[in-house]
Amino acid sequence: MSWLANLSKTYDNHTEAIGNFEKKRNGREYALIPISHTTQSAHIEVILNGKGVFLRAKVIEKEEGSTIIPCTEAAASRTSAPVPYPLFDKLMYVAGDYEQYVGEVKKHTPHADYLEQLRAWCTSAYSNRKVESVYQYLQKGTLIADLVEYKVLWTDRQRKLLDKWVQEEGDESKEKPDIFKVIASDQSSAFVRFAVYIPGDTEPRLWRDREVQQSFIDFYNEQLAEKDLCYVTGEQLPFADKHASRIRNSGDKTKLISANDSSGFTFRGRFRTGRDAASVSYEVSQKAHNALKWLIDRQSFTLDGKVFLVWGTDRLEVPDPAEDLFDYLKEEEDDSSAGDISHREHALEVRKALSGYRYDGEYKSNVVIMTLDAATPGRLSIVYYRDMNRELFMNQLQHWHETCFWRHRYRKNENDKYVAFTGAPATKDIAFAAYGPRASDKVVKGLLERMLPCIVDGRAIPIDIVRSAISRASNPVGMEPWEWEKTLSIACALVNKTKEKEGFRVSLNKQLEDRSYLFGRMLAIADVLERRALGREERRATNAIRYMNAFAQRPGRTWRIIQSNLQPYQARMGTDARYYNGLLDEVGSMLKTEDFTDAPLSGLYLLGFYSQRHDLYTKKDKGDTTQGQDSEQDNNQDSEQDDTEE
Amino acid sequence: MRNQIEFEVSGKYALFTDPLTKIGGEKFSYQVPTYQALKGIVESIYWKPTIIWYIDEVRIMNVIQTESKGIRPIEYNGGNTLAYYTYLKDVKYRVRAYFDFNPHREDLVYDRNEHKHHNIAKRSVQAGGRRDIFLGTRECQGYVEPCDFNEGKGFYDEVPEVDFGHMVHGISYPDETGRPERETRLWPVKMERGIIRFIRPEACVLTRKTGEGAAKAFGSENMESVDHLHEQLFAEGEKA
Repeated sequence: MSWLANLSKTYDNHTEAIGNFEKKRNGREYALIPISHTTQSAHIEVILNGKGVFLRAKVIEKEEGSTIIPCTEAAASRTSAPVPYPLFDKLMYVAGDYEQYVGEVKKHTPHADYLEQLRAWCTSAYSNRKVESVYQYLQKGTLIADLVEYKVLWTDRQRKLLDKWVQEEGDESKEKPDIFKVIASDQSSAFVRFAVYIPGDTEPRLWRDREVQQSFIDFYNEQLAEKDLCYVTGEQLPFADKHASRIRNSGDKTKLISANDSSGFTFRGRFRTGRDAASVSYEVSQKAHNALKWLIDRQSFTLDGKVFLVWGTDRLEVPDPAEDLFDYLKEEEDDSSAGDISHREHALEVRKALSGYRYDGEYKSNVVIMTLDAATPGRLSIVYYRDMNRELFMNQLQHWHETCFWRHRYRKNENDKYVAFTGAPATKDIAFAAYGPRASDKVVKGLLERMLPCIVDGRAIPIDIVRSAISRASNPVGMEPWEWEKTLSIACALVNKTKEKEGFRVSLNKQLEDRSYLFGRMLAIADVLERRALGREERRATNAIRYMNAFAQRPGRTWRIIQSNLQPYQARMGTDARYYNGLLDEVGSMLKTEDFTDAPLSGLYLLGFYSQRHDLYTKKDKGDTTQGQDSEQDNNQDSEQDDTEE
Repeated sequence: MRNQIEFEVSGKYALFTDPLTKIGGEKFSYQVPTYQALKGIVESIYWKPTIIWYIDEVRIMNVIQTESKGIRPIEYNGGNTLAYYTYLKDVKYRVRAYFDFNPHREDLVYDRNEHKHHNIAKRSVQAGGRRDIFLGTRECQGYVEPCDFNEGKGFYDEVPEVDFGHMVHGISYPDETGRPERETRLWPVKMERGIIRFIRPEACVLTRKTGEGAAKAFGSENMESVDHLHEQLFAEGEKA
């Protein structure tokens, strides 16, 4: 379905969530807003009784300020020209005595406009008695006077509202009044909301009262008289003149639907106005935009302005394709034959991890993947959109996690310890492996978008990403050891994905005669041998590691250098080196003579290197007695090279 | 059917702009081609004012994917701007279309030779079209080749139904309706096992008027008849 239809369907499927505030991790509140409404943060709460009599008022604390307010199309896009909101608004609109306390309002009559709008609502068939009492009270025009008397607002000697709170000299005991704590500019811009207490009524807060909201929706719906064919529903409905902005965040000016063709010839030719070219009904536009904002607050990931969003139209919760399954996968014991798990076991683990997101009998249910970004400050663009069957989506995701995997050691468990896990790396980690940890957000967000089709459509990973990761992994000297380990295992996962058909595993393949793989194995043996010989205290990089980059480019020539550099260590270890020497001979003999050239190695050599090294460090039954030489390093991530040798 | 053609059209990118995103300038593609886009492709293969092409059905062969590109639209008043257009990626469609004679072209009755038009159309498909083909917008080059509509494996062959909601069907122009106005037509689109079966333009109930216009006049002075062309080509009396 089209993106607008999907969003408005999501709204319809979650009507029970309308108006329920939830808290984000950063403490900010968000909610699915009813149509014809928006949110504002209010500063002052005025409490009235059912007859429109002022009872009391208070300053609202910042955390509780978020308020759902009724809103017309004109008010939603108001700028400098004052257009009142229908019920709650700033003092300038709601207070009849504003001029008396602040100063004259030139040219416009905000308060009169406001009262007129409220009167129309109160005299319509959709009136609500609580709204009527607000109207009754505001007609008196004594709001600021009441607020001053109630010590919510503060005046100076001329009985004007104070611009700023100034501590009186000699009287430090007086605390700064609350209103100055919640409002950034001066008091006159305070936003007011109303509560009406009527005996027997359970919800005095007008901004939470579903009846008041519905009464406004009905009232406003009647005002929208002109109908047009809606391009989303195909029905004749009141059309939306303006569409929502502030989609990505509250400071965002960009719009998904806008019409502006005074200069660019975006649609002119066949059509004269934007409405000729396309029209959307007010209801669909409101529902879709409100649902989108809600989803973005709820479950999106934003990077450099680009919003990544995945949701299910029926059930919102969907596994994020950009994440790894670390939190779901079984932790691997460090000292067991970790990484040796068979492909079938790994597949089983992935299936188990994803099973929580699978539901039976939902063959028609859909998952929508949407990415939004703005090229200019005015317009928002859908840069990626996929509407796919949930079953298909889950299958693709499962396939991704089953094929693009390797053994990683860069994630911490709840005890803050690095643990190994076998799985697909998160997209963000791939970005850092390919472009380095200092890659700019712009580059990273581009990669995230490019990786999406690889995961959800099973397309091949762009070759430049794989190459970049391989070449960074081949250059260990340029990085901290832990960073290199992370890059290496992610590069291995990517190489493994490109060799999907061959089905490589973390455990060593001793039969494979691929040239790159064998060279990788030899490099690992040289590395382990030298590490052993250096002993626990010596932490300098081995020759194998130092020459890794050159080795990947010219393996034949570089191997000779590495081997000659290895000799002193072999000599130092004496008979202890026998096992490694034997292994070197064994691997070397598998290498065909015509393969021992200087042709650059493919990414497969990383797999050979990793698997061989892993194999050596987890070997339990080898005949050599080289225990106790592990150099336990402080950095836990380093211990990859040193763990588990008994 | 005597006046039907079948062909496959494919391209690296396609942009069947969703009109809602077009008016703002950040174009975003519909998921599947519109009737009008396919009609345009068929008309690029072969067209004369004498005939009207109708699209029977389209088969979506590849999975529907999108990809965005940064585009520098032309600013007619100078200056620079940037927009993100979102294209369909790697598309392949199989199309079945047929033609009828335009009943509003009384002036071109002399050119109504169904058999010859049909043969020209078939040869044009063989040649990959008479004019260059594009998928939705000019920058998306497409390639046409003859095919058997039902052959080959499509991505959605096993998917019972995909609902695309309401989409633009096309625009009715005065020379094909006989009315001096343009109308935009909408219709609810459903894909069944990868195939979208289009309704005829006059069967669309959701229409709205979007402007006026007039049909261009054609006659023997500015258009050559097929019979005349045939005589010219095969002057020696060879049979086509």
